[in-house]
Amino acid sequence: MTAAPTAATLRDRLAGRAHAAQAGTGEAADRAVLVLHDVTKTYPNGKVALRDVDLVIPEGDFVFLVGPSGAGKSTLLKLLIRDELATRGAVVLDGDDLARLPRRQVARVRRKIGIVFQDFKLLPRKTVWENVAFALEVTGTPGRRIRPAVDRVLSLVGLTGQASQLPTQLSGGEQQRTAIARALVHDPRLIIADEPTGNLDPLISWEILQLLIRINELGVTVLMASHNAEVVTALRRRVVALEEGRVIRDEIGGAYHRED
Amino acid sequence: MISFIVFSLRRAWQGFWRNALMSLAATATMVLMLLLLAGFWIIQSGLLAGLEYTEQKVQVVAYLETTAHVDDVATLRETVEAMPVVESVTYVNRDEALERFRERMTAQGRDDLTPYLDSNPLYASLEVRLTDPSRIREVGDALRGATIVRNVINIDDLVDRVLTVTGVLRTAGTVILIVVAIIVLFIIVNTIRLAVVARAEEIEIMRLVGASDAFIRWPFVFEGAFVGLLGAVAALGVLGFAADPIGRFMVDFFRVLPLSFGDLARELAILVLGAGVGLGILGSWLSVRTYLIR
Repeated sequence: MTAAPTAATLRDRLAGRAHAAQAGTGEAADRAVLVLHDVTKTYPNGKVALRDVDLVIPEGDFVFLVGPSGAGKSTLLKLLIRDELATRGAVVLDGDDLARLPRRQVARVRRKIGIVFQDFKLLPRKTVWENVAFALEVTGTPGRRIRPAVDRVLSLVGLTGQASQLPTQLSGGEQQRTAIARALVHDPRLIIADEPTGNLDPLISWEILQLLIRINELGVTVLMASHNAEVVTALRRRVVALEEGRVIRDEIGGAYHRED
Repeated sequence: MISFIVFSLRRAWQGFWRNALMSLAATATMVLMLLLLAGFWIIQSGLLAGLEYTEQKVQVVAYLETTAHVDDVATLRETVEAMPVVESVTYVNRDEALERFRERMTAQGRDDLTPYLDSNPLYASLEVRLTDPSRIREVGDALRGATIVRNVINIDDLVDRVLTVTGVLRTAGTVILIVVAIIVLFIIVNTIRLAVVARAEEIEIMRLVGASDAFIRWPFVFEGAFVGLLGAVAALGVLGFAADPIGRFMVDFFRVLPLSFGDLARELAILVLGAGVGLGILGSWLSVRTYLIR
């Protein structure tokens, strides 16, 4: 099933009336966490990374973003965290149009997103606990609120026992769980995971996947870019496939590869 | 607000010590650069004072007719003193002139032959000091016009040449000081940039977890200020240590020149502290800006 442009206007979507028909569920999403409307991104060197991308992610969704290298996955993720601005079209995150967002508001909107990377991006000289707390400290959270929040997410990802260890003392899976805890500590609306299992062996990859699914079940929307065909196909979630900057497939319960 | 400042200061302090090697390297560079700047500043101050001293030496001497009446001399003196370029006028009467001549002979170790003179052969004179030596001609012409003036020693050309030389030296000194200041600026800013770049990943993470620009910037700015302060204090310490022997060595220099050691030291302290802290802040500010939200 190919993504067809919906009749809903941007205004409708902003008002939270985005129709999930595009997603094929047949039921209206009360509120879309993320809406991309006709998004085109052209880099200054003339390379077109995304062409006319339409994407609506309702709250609570779990979406796999698949596609070969250079298909535009990274660019898409950069647009979501407003590292890049769309050349054309609108990116609306939880009601905020990122193109119109004043610079001062960017940090606030970023806290609605938790990001997890393939390479974890942990600070090597801080303990697990400090790495997670860091996300709150640098956003001006009062000290008394930091401790309970950090303890809570660490227990959620099952790292309470490793709280005082340094990242170098942890396994890859534990490091990634630390990164997930850090992404969660702000109570984000959306978790973006960029190849979170790319550096991990299959067993640990499943562990991370289970964790992300559990987080999703707690109500956090998850968007995960992945090359892991086995995982994507096995989970039968919504799959959005990018190729040469276009969405070539968007289906619920999809596989990594096209199946028809 | 206060918690933000406390947070920034604490992060700055941590940042300094967690990258101790980098921070100390930056501080050492800061010390050397500030010493370089201070050295050139001292040289420039000495040069300017020396030039001023030289220019102050310029005076117009008008010899007066022996027949000149006291009242006429007084009138001429008042006229000349009223000229805006004139700083002071000294009247040297004939006896004083003879006395000075004797002193000069004695100082040069020659025999005093004046007792063999029948009468005093010297003339009384007016010695005119100028606020602006380049306008020596105005004063010279005014004196030459007076009837009681016998002659005026013509040093106009000499003064012009001296002023050309002092002007060139003054400009050259200023240019060199500016060039040194720019070099110091670039080296310090770049050193601090290195320290910031070494922590690009930390900044990246701060950005990704939604830290606002202020939360990213100010700890680095404080850290830069701290490096600057530490460097400035160390540089001043070195200068203070060196001040005593240098001061003793240059006692004569300061006695001759219109330059106060206290003033120089105060200006130097302000310069070194200001440049250290200022450049530390500037360097951090510019370096962090690269990583902030575009």
